[in-house]
Amino acid sequence: MKVDTYTYTMIYAVVLGVVCAAMLTAAGQFAAPYKEANAKADEMRHVLTVLRVPFDPKSTAAKLAQAFEQNVRGRDRGGMSVYEYVASDGKMLAQAVPFAGPGVWGPMRGFLALGPDGVTIVEVSFYEQEETPGLGGEIGSKWFQDQFQGRRIVDAQNRPGIRIRRDGAKGSNEVDGIAGATMTCDKVEIMLNETIQRLLKERKNNDRNSQ
Amino acid sequence: MTATASKSPAACGPCAAGLLCDGKAGKIVKDGVWANNPISIQVLGICSALAVTNKLANALVMGGALIFVTACSSLFLSFLRNATPRKIRMIAEVAIISTFVIVFDQLLRAFYWDMSKQLGPYVGLIITNCIVMGRAEAFALQNRPIASALDGIANGLGYAIVLAVIAVFREMIGAGKLLGFSILDKVWYEPNQLMILAPGAFFTLGILIALLNALRKDVPETKP
Repeated sequence: MKVDTYTYTMIYAVVLGVVCAAMLTAAGQFAAPYKEANAKADEMRHVLTVLRVPFDPKSTAAKLAQAFEQNVRGRDRGGMSVYEYVASDGKMLAQAVPFAGPGVWGPMRGFLALGPDGVTIVEVSFYEQEETPGLGGEIGSKWFQDQFQGRRIVDAQNRPGIRIRRDGAKGSNEVDGIAGATMTCDKVEIMLNETIQRLLKERKNNDRNSQ
Repeated sequence: MTATASKSPAACGPCAAGLLCDGKAGKIVKDGVWANNPISIQVLGICSALAVTNKLANALVMGGALIFVTACSSLFLSFLRNATPRKIRMIAEVAIISTFVIVFDQLLRAFYWDMSKQLGPYVGLIITNCIVMGRAEAFALQNRPIASALDGIANGLGYAIVLAVIAVFREMIGAGKLLGFSILDKVWYEPNQLMILAPGAFFTLGILIALLNALRKDVPETKP
């Protein structure tokens, strides 16, 4: 059979395309439930970590889900899903809100965890970001995220907002920025502040409703 | 390098009297792993070699991925070598290579989620790795399926070994660890972060290639 005729080339291309597509579909279908479970476990692990719920980091997905069930209560607040770490005596120890926004190269996602007073930060963690490694990518590193611990989401005059400063952190709502990553820092600041604004507004609404 | 050109089938060794791979198994393996190593001699696939070698575990998985993809795609392309129209040869190669890459990527995401997160886009980028298509063009299109698969494995192995060597140095010097276990004690050893960052990869690879070239006697020394 001549393999260089147009008809043959067309048929070959179609058959090859269909076979490849079938293999890809099969692989995708097969992997889908596992991937979904992994993504869910990943998110649970992050929630547990930012809320400082004690758990074994090497535990299996089932154990993780169990720790999540026992300690964390999910709540919907004006479209924001808030996760609360509730102790066995019913006291709320910490709450975490997810945040998301555009970064320099791709989307950034993470969690902001606050203490029971609702203004002191327990932990900030970015679990998805594609910033420049070594520069903006430093937002994923421990030293940057640890700076947020114990900071407040309001300033001394109770105005909401966090500031990432170039000239060093001074106030109780300020953290030191990353040299060479002004764009990333600005975007992180905007993203965090949007979340804080929404959270405080929602809280105000809630207080008004409950009175 | 046609199928009829086999000279010494008996010298082949393990594969059935050399009929399947034309008696070239030993040469194929030696070429891929050493004499014609894709990284240290041909300097192909450097992008991923530099990117994923900051940890040994990453390098090993990446090496495994390349062995799998090169072996499978070479095998398939060799099966189809007489049926593939010349005009769409390259598109057919890319289609088959990318299928195997995505299959591997999906399995990695399903069963080794953390690893797949760490490797990021680099598994997917195997599609554009010159080694895979290079072997398809240079070997699989002229040789029988089993020989082609073996060639794929050998070249993948050559890539994997170089990656592992680079990663051992980078992780050890850069983090004082190997596969996550502490090797150089933090008490007296201050990890050199440079080795973890991109420049460390360039230095290690450069020194490695220079050393290998010095070891090999058959490399002609070119003088200007």
